[in-house]
Amino acid sequence: MTTPTSPSGHLTSDLIALDKGAIVAFAARFDPQPYHLDADAAEQSIFGGLCASGWHIAALATRLVSQTLLDNGIPFVEMTSVSHLTWSRPTFVNEKIGVRITLDASLADSPIAGTYSQTLEVDVRNDDGAVVATMTATAAIAADPTVVAAP
Amino acid sequence: MTALYLRERWFEDLPLGEFHVFGSHTFSELEIVEFAEAYDPRPELTNPEQALYSHRQGLVASPWLITAMWMRKMVDYMEVYAQGVNDGRRNGAGVAINDLQWLEPVRPGHTLTYTYEIIAKPDRVIREKWGLIRSRNEAFNQYRTKVMQFEIDILAERRPPNSDDPQQQ
Repeated sequence: MTTPTSPSGHLTSDLIALDKGAIVAFAARFDPQPYHLDADAAEQSIFGGLCASGWHIAALATRLVSQTLLDNGIPFVEMTSVSHLTWSRPTFVNEKIGVRITLDASLADSPIAGTYSQTLEVDVRNDDGAVVATMTATAAIAADPTVVAAP
Repeated sequence: MTALYLRERWFEDLPLGEFHVFGSHTFSELEIVEFAEAYDPRPELTNPEQALYSHRQGLVASPWLITAMWMRKMVDYMEVYAQGVNDGRRNGAGVAINDLQWLEPVRPGHTLTYTYEIIAKPDRVIREKWGLIRSRNEAFNQYRTKVMQFEIDILAERRPPNSDDPQQQ
């Protein structure tokens, strides 16, 4: 996975595709509401089409954040808080999403021993570049990277 | 008296302070591993042996599994509470969350109880027909320790001006 760092200091992830099977599989387990399960019902809903659960988007965005940080040598351990998350638009079948991460300069104590807290601004965009969600989150980062890589 | 179930009510009918216990869920090792494999595939979350050497010193649930299970418990609870009603139009989507914190690790065998309380009704009209219900949601483990909290704004349909529903304003 390539994660180029732009001149402005952002980290950008690869894209994850969301096909109908993935959307329905998550929704059937965690968010079984008609607009995430059934195309006809979804067309009549506020979303206007079958779309992913917002929690599915949040989980995948966090997966992309962890992969991107790890690929850039930042030993991500766990997300510990999300001070704000807005879902701006639905993610429909066969759209792709990726994240753009801005690392806040300020570091703080973490609730997990052996880690420090890193604030992250995360934009989740689809393959048209439209923002589908924004998130301000705090991640625990390993103070000693070798602990994560222990046997 | 006619029972008013949650989905039969309009935005105007939902009172501040309304409180629900959505129910409890016991997390198995298998579902913790399966969630991680699908949505957070790092070795310390998918491999219980490797998890022993992680910062958590053992397998823990991916944070979003803890939160996604809140959604499932809410949907299940509303299906029962709104029995017989199959009207997705008033069943609004979430638009934003605030102050989400994962406070304690959740390990295999832990049982979480999820609670919900309406704490605000922000004075906003969205797309001419929706209002916002702000709730505080918390999850407690078997030791009665709070392990997760967040606030969420969920759309609720406002009563149409010409509605012939009961409790006309």
